[in-house]
Amino acid sequence: MKMIVVFEKAPRLRHIGHLDLMRAMQRALRRSGLPLCYSQGFNPHILLSFAAPLSVGMPGRREIMEVPLSEEMTAEAFLQKLSSALPPDLPCLEARGVDDRHPAPMALLSAAVYEAKMEAIPEGLSAAIEEFLAQKEIPAVRKTKSGLKDCDLRPMIYDLSLTGGVLRMTLALCEKATCKPDLLLDSLFAFSGLPRPRALITRTALLGEKDGALVPLEAL
Amino acid sequence: MNDTENARLERLLEEVQKPARYIGGEMNATVKPWDSVKTHFAFCFPDTYEIGMSHLGMKILYYLINGRPDAVCERVFMPGADMADRMREESLPLFGLESRHALSEYEIVGFTLQYEMSYTNILEMLDLGHIAVFAKDRAEADPIVVAGGPCAFNPEPLTPFVDAFMIGDGEDVMHELIDVIRDGRAEGLSRKEIFRSLARLEGVYVPSLYDVSYNGDGTLKSFAPNDPVAPASVKKRVVKDLSAAVYPEAIPVPYTEIVHDRMVLEIMRGCTRGCRFCQAGMLYRPVRERSMERLMELADKLQQSTGYEEMSLSSLSSGDFTCLPQLIQALMDRYREKRVSVSLPSMRIDSIVKQSLEETQQVKRSGLTLAPEAGTQRLRDVINKGVTEEDLIRSVTDAFECGWSSVKLYFMMGLPTETDEDLQGIGHLAKKVVDAYYALPKEQRSKNGVKVTASASVFVPKPFTPFQWAAQDTIDQVHEKQAKLRQYLKIKCVNFNWHESQLSMLEACVSRGDRRMGDVIYAAWKRGCRLDSWNEYFKFDQWLGAFEDCGLTPDFYAYRERPYEELLPWQFIDAGVSQEYLRKENEKAKAAQTTRDCRRGCNGCGLHTWGVCDWVKHPPLKDTDKTSAPLFD
Ligand code: SF4
Repeated sequence: MKMIVVFEKAPRLRHIGHLDLMRAMQRALRRSGLPLCYSQGFNPHILLSFAAPLSVGMPGRREIMEVPLSEEMTAEAFLQKLSSALPPDLPCLEARGVDDRHPAPMALLSAAVYEAKMEAIPEGLSAAIEEFLAQKEIPAVRKTKSGLKDCDLRPMIYDLSLTGGVLRMTLALCEKATCKPDLLLDSLFAFSGLPRPRALITRTALLGEKDGALVPLEAL
Repeated sequence: MNDTENARLERLLEEVQKPARYIGGEMNATVKPWDSVKTHFAFCFPDTYEIGMSHLGMKILYYLINGRPDAVCERVFMPGADMADRMREESLPLFGLESRHALSEYEIVGFTLQYEMSYTNILEMLDLGHIAVFAKDRAEADPIVVAGGPCAFNPEPLTPFVDAFMIGDGEDVMHELIDVIRDGRAEGLSRKEIFRSLARLEGVYVPSLYDVSYNGDGTLKSFAPNDPVAPASVKKRVVKDLSAAVYPEAIPVPYTEIVHDRMVLEIMRGCTRGCRFCQAGMLYRPVRERSMERLMELADKLQQSTGYEEMSLSSLSSGDFTCLPQLIQALMDRYREKRVSVSLPSMRIDSIVKQSLEETQQVKRSGLTLAPEAGTQRLRDVINKGVTEEDLIRSVTDAFECGWSSVKLYFMMGLPTETDEDLQGIGHLAKKVVDAYYALPKEQRSKNGVKVTASASVFVPKPFTPFQWAAQDTIDQVHEKQAKLRQYLKIKCVNFNWHESQLSMLEACVSRGDRRMGDVIYAAWKRGCRLDSWNEYFKFDQWLGAFEDCGLTPDFYAYRERPYEELLPWQFIDAGVSQEYLRKENEKAKAAQTTRDCRRGCNGCGLHTWGVCDWVKHPPLKDTDKTSAPLFD
């Protein structure tokens, strides 16, 4: 069986990169005494996969990983064992046992929700967002592995709204199309001509598609 | 730190390189509410996080202090240059990783001294921590600054900055020191009175209670206590029973990569070999082993508390551990299921390892590093490195048969009595190692092809070694020899690495320096020196300027052979190994005479009178008992 696990990467750990996070999680799993599965080969490591790597500098409120197990167990027992082995800034929140044939979370991922907590909200931002979204096309230049690429952001924006001091964004995140929150903010502030305030961006949820609607990935 | 300072620090972390160095919060980091304890100890490692977090001594003392209900120990590392500069600009103090208190808020600020060329970092850290750099400038309520570790055996260069030194093994004296400071503070004693109480502890040196004077030629004239409580000679502390000593059962597991990211079992302390250049070999006498039972118990606890996938065994000469084969076997049996690998820094590729390599892949196949140290048998006899060419060739042949294909060879240049022949010998040895590879049948050797890396460091004479009186080669001599070695090592499949001679020269000055060297360190720091062991920050010309500022020369400290009659700055420290013994060993070195391994009979190094060395009464090993060559680095 395998467990689909929701965990948090607290703000303190935002400077930790994906590989470091992966190693920390593997060591926690080793401490937990859970019945884990290992890779074959010269340097066997614990089998474990994350739905989507988090970039350096970004906390994650509901991150998702998949942990294959060599024995059946309940989600409660799993959570209890893992929780006792995790450091304070990396708590696990939920777990759900699924069949080995259950598709990997990574394969079901289609979008993510981000919240940008801004130090100061420039006047007129709400109106600017409305105008920004009213565009038919939002041309931008995206950095990819194979260099700079022109793209249209508009279809990758599912939602963009301002409440309190927080800008909430739901953006495409899957193999076919990914819009990074930073790129969106660049584009929005360039379009509006407003000064871009410092902001801490947190990824608050990962989403998948069910019956044409976006739902929390862990529920799929 | 208050809230606004905290917020400013968080912003700073967005700007600097490697911010993960500064976040703390690791698994097993000990956080205690600040007001729940009386004594706050800031354990300072005068180098960056990646280096300090790899250090075993720090882990032992961190665990030991935090084991006390009345104290907390927090970690402080030298920030990177960018962070240090930005902290100054923002006037943010250097802080403990656990609770982010400013360094100046701890009752005790303790530095571990592992390397002389990190001393400018100590000044930088005190200054960043808003603590007066000079001990004499500290106010009554300021932290008490202490230091320990191997370099504390010559404390003199740091005396202007450190209030008290701990000499020798830290486990016991640390508790006594904390008790004295805690009680002294509770009773409202003055700093001076607390220092006087500290001076009464065995193994503690309080420099302000001693006076020195110099001869006209700059040599030391006198060194004596100026207070009746201070002993004329400070005796190093020795932990007699290593199995009973505190050892960490949990250690902080870093989030970010560090130099040695694994759990470490210290199997043994000390070494019986008696290599004459090796300071650690003399300082950490006598040899003490941890019992198998204790090691297995610690291994289990560490594995469970850290989740590390790799375990390494540590000591000066692991091959000499009595039950090494049994220990390795037991560890591998225990951790096969958990996929924990065992790596041996002093790798001995004899039957047991060979066999387990074939059975499993649990022994880490790290690079093979051998340290013949010198190129000819004559010079190896001078330094008492009991290794022959035959040992070396047998070891590398074994390794090649096991699939190794790259070998590192460590040498020293500038050893006493060295001639051109000895340098040529380095070339010959390297060539023979390559030949040993090609001597194997094709199907037995690795397909990668052989790669030999010969590294030659510059010999630095150290206190408490038989070579403590020796002159170091001048920088020009070193350059000449390096050029020759480059010629001698123009061999197919052999690479040559050499070390920075300027840094070694300064290391020689500081390690055998007197109190005036403290002025040089201060002047160098004032001129912007810090992180000296980092190539990109090393400023040799500023160091030379610092010597000039103080009216001193490096030649006096590094290049001068000192006569036996000269009073040495560190002579008041009793390291157990007697000055007579060191002198005798130095004379034997000049005659290229070797001294036996103590396990073949006590050599009367001085410690035999202390009642702490088990090998004094131990039946000596017989000639037929195999002891592996101390080859592995
Ligand atoms: S007392 Fe004897 S056996 Fe012990 S370290 Fe000294 S010389 Fe070796």
